[in-house]
Amino acid sequence: MRGRWLGALALVALAVAPWALARHQLSLLTDLLIFGLFALSLDLIMGYTGMVSFGHAAYFGLGAYGSALVLIHFEQPIPVALLAGALLAGVIAVPVGWFSTRAREIYFAMLTLAFAQLLYTVAYKWRDLTGGSDGIAGVPKTTLYWGGPSVAGPHAFYAVVAVSVVLSLIVCRALVASPFGRALQAIRENERRFISLGRDPRVFKLTVFVIAATFAGLAGALFAPFRGFASPEVMFWVLSGQGLMMVITGGIGTLVGPIIGAMVFILIQEILSSYTEHWMIFTGAIFVLMVIFLPGGLVGTARRLATRA
Amino acid sequence: MSVANVVEQLLNALALAGLLFLVSAGLSLVFGILRVVNFAHGVFYMLGAYFGVTSVAVTGWFWPSLLLVPPVVGVVGAMLEASTLRFIYRRPPIYQLLLTFGLALILEESVRVVYGPTALGVEPPALLQGAVEIAGTFYPRYRLFLVVLGLAVGAVVWLLLTKTRTGLVIRAVAQNSEMADCLGADVTRVRTLVFGAACALAGLGGVAAAPMTTAYLGMGISVIVDAFVVVVIGGLGSIPGSMAGSLIVGAAQTWGAFYLPETAMVIMYAVMGAILIFRPWGLFGEEE
Amino acid sequence: MTALLETRELGRAFGALQAVTDVTLAVEPGELRAIIGPNGAGKTTLFHLISGLLPPSAGRVVFRGEDVTALGAPARCRRGLSRTFQITSIFPELSVLENVRIAVQLKAGGNFRLLGGRAQLDASERRARESLAFLGLEGRADELASTLPHGDQRLLEIAMAVAQEPELLLLDEPTQGLSPEDTTATVGVIRQIAKARHLTILLVEHDMDVVFDLADRITVLHFGRVIAEGAPSDIRANAEVQQAYLGTVA
Repeated sequence: MRGRWLGALALVALAVAPWALARHQLSLLTDLLIFGLFALSLDLIMGYTGMVSFGHAAYFGLGAYGSALVLIHFEQPIPVALLAGALLAGVIAVPVGWFSTRAREIYFAMLTLAFAQLLYTVAYKWRDLTGGSDGIAGVPKTTLYWGGPSVAGPHAFYAVVAVSVVLSLIVCRALVASPFGRALQAIRENERRFISLGRDPRVFKLTVFVIAATFAGLAGALFAPFRGFASPEVMFWVLSGQGLMMVITGGIGTLVGPIIGAMVFILIQEILSSYTEHWMIFTGAIFVLMVIFLPGGLVGTARRLATRA
Repeated sequence: MSVANVVEQLLNALALAGLLFLVSAGLSLVFGILRVVNFAHGVFYMLGAYFGVTSVAVTGWFWPSLLLVPPVVGVVGAMLEASTLRFIYRRPPIYQLLLTFGLALILEESVRVVYGPTALGVEPPALLQGAVEIAGTFYPRYRLFLVVLGLAVGAVVWLLLTKTRTGLVIRAVAQNSEMADCLGADVTRVRTLVFGAACALAGLGGVAAAPMTTAYLGMGISVIVDAFVVVVIGGLGSIPGSMAGSLIVGAAQTWGAFYLPETAMVIMYAVMGAILIFRPWGLFGEEE
Repeated sequence: MTALLETRELGRAFGALQAVTDVTLAVEPGELRAIIGPNGAGKTTLFHLISGLLPPSAGRVVFRGEDVTALGAPARCRRGLSRTFQITSIFPELSVLENVRIAVQLKAGGNFRLLGGRAQLDASERRARESLAFLGLEGRADELASTLPHGDQRLLEIAMAVAQEPELLLLDEPTQGLSPEDTTATVGVIRQIAKARHLTILLVEHDMDVVFDLADRITVLHFGRVIAEGAPSDIRANAEVQQAYLGTVA
């Protein structure tokens, strides 16, 4: 019950944000939401299925490149670009997932990292298509539909991002509560038992891997027009690792937690980076302390305290 | 391809395999004893390279640096293990992986703070400068040294593990993780020791690599990705596996770079894919 | 009457170690068969071979007249073969009800309903609650499985298998680690299941009282081979069994 109130409150806050916030604050919030969606997608595989991917940024990056190319070369409306980015990430995730889900736990983590570095290298080297290390700049924020209104203004683009993220959250919540989502949690808890109860977990793992990659691709597809560029940086392992940090900070296996985790994480980064350019040392240290002392993350710990009270 | 070319490629592959073995053997060893995949392992390789730069700059000599740097890196590693990892061995393995990831970030950024963003070169010692003629082609002496070093360290690690009491204990623990409990109070010390020794090996790899590759930011992540591929191919926790995996990856990268310069990495991944289909637990790994 | 489950010259080696050799069994429908044998006799390996968790290195497994040797554990389970494990194997951080519900769902299908699926969830929940009630766990349905006492966790595992309405139920040491009172209760439950659900049960058990109390027939394994098979009274009298097994216990 309390959760529902908090959710309604958050929705209202998102709705009034464009009027309440200054322009640069709204831009920061847009950023937070995009990375919130990225962390949310990672939680689907990490928190609900127990598969820790060290290469999730690859799908964020694929989404960014997919959407950037569609916007630059074909000047399609934003939803087309979002779809293209998400689909590109999902399609590439099929072969990668097929290989990676043959392995378990730590092997899976290593494989996802290795494949992500491969995709990063491809993005880096395929200069004709991706612009190499410079990436693709000048990605336009086009229109809402063919001949429709422009979404170039900060308010309009914020609305596109907020709606995408809220819808994604709703879909993901339904997904984890569905028969499929329940099966994923059983796989996370005990794979051998799952097998002896009559199903092969690999098909489930591959499916959720592709779904998670698709949502990460959507986040990337929002990122490219928002920031106006796509570059190999957004596929780099550091972003994959930051995704893991967001999920852990917010609370693994809670969906909302990772979004909050992403926000907290980026805000900490913002604050630290105004004092020192070497903020990564401090975020790294905070992360290490979180892993040791608060494995449930912010939301997980809050829930535990709430049930105890 | 001429005979000279073949010899040159072969030596290149062996030199690369030697470096990869120094890193992947430690990764594998740590997994065998601690059941932890150390994401920060590549960063210790990088630390070795940068410490090597400092040491050569201060002392002016390469050889003492080669001996001095690995233990220093090892001590740094052992201290980090004792101050962080030690507390979370009872958690699911993924938390340990995450923790070492955090350590990797901290170390990588610390190196940037201390040494700055530009790559730093190291002069090879006078003895190893220049080239020698082998089968009609001139081959850099330093690479030959790397081949020898890789083989020598491989042999030493092998002897330590098979012929000494400590090695026996370590292998027993690696083969049967429940054995760790039988060691009782010693298990904490064995873990720290093994972690430190593995970091020292990586550090040795780094300081040896520096004259060839320079010391640069990002060398840690690129070597850890290669080392992951090595242990996936060879089997995590197996020293012969990481030897075989290093040779395969070394060969794949060298010949890949020769024939398909733009897509050299693809060859390595194709090999790994094939292994995964037919032996998901690696060439020398044990089936779950 | 044809056998529900047959194994023909079944064998499994781990490297040089021959864990199971030449095991030929026939379990009739409705039978409660116990497999006994000293530690390391290959009982659990045999269970893994029958349930499909391990591929055999020799021999065949035939279930309901179909050769299932080449099938994996999931396919065998869907054909009506459910099992429990010697070391309790449940979904620890899910509720007791969800443990059983997921067992029903995995067998029944429709697992790829990605969204919605409310009606399906309700249907499997009803069957799960029936199974829990049958094992006397209905009062604990909403607790986390990991918080149950050991005895109830063992029962939960049986509830998961029973809820799948299998033809053949494989129980791997169901009374392992239970107190005498819990053991008696579990024996009662197993007898009740066998009767009420007309189940065929294959049981691996250490506790001789349980075995002689429950089993219609007993198969004795020793060093991976069948050394005797018969009614409980025959087994009790069998000299070879005495020597190999009962003698060492007494």
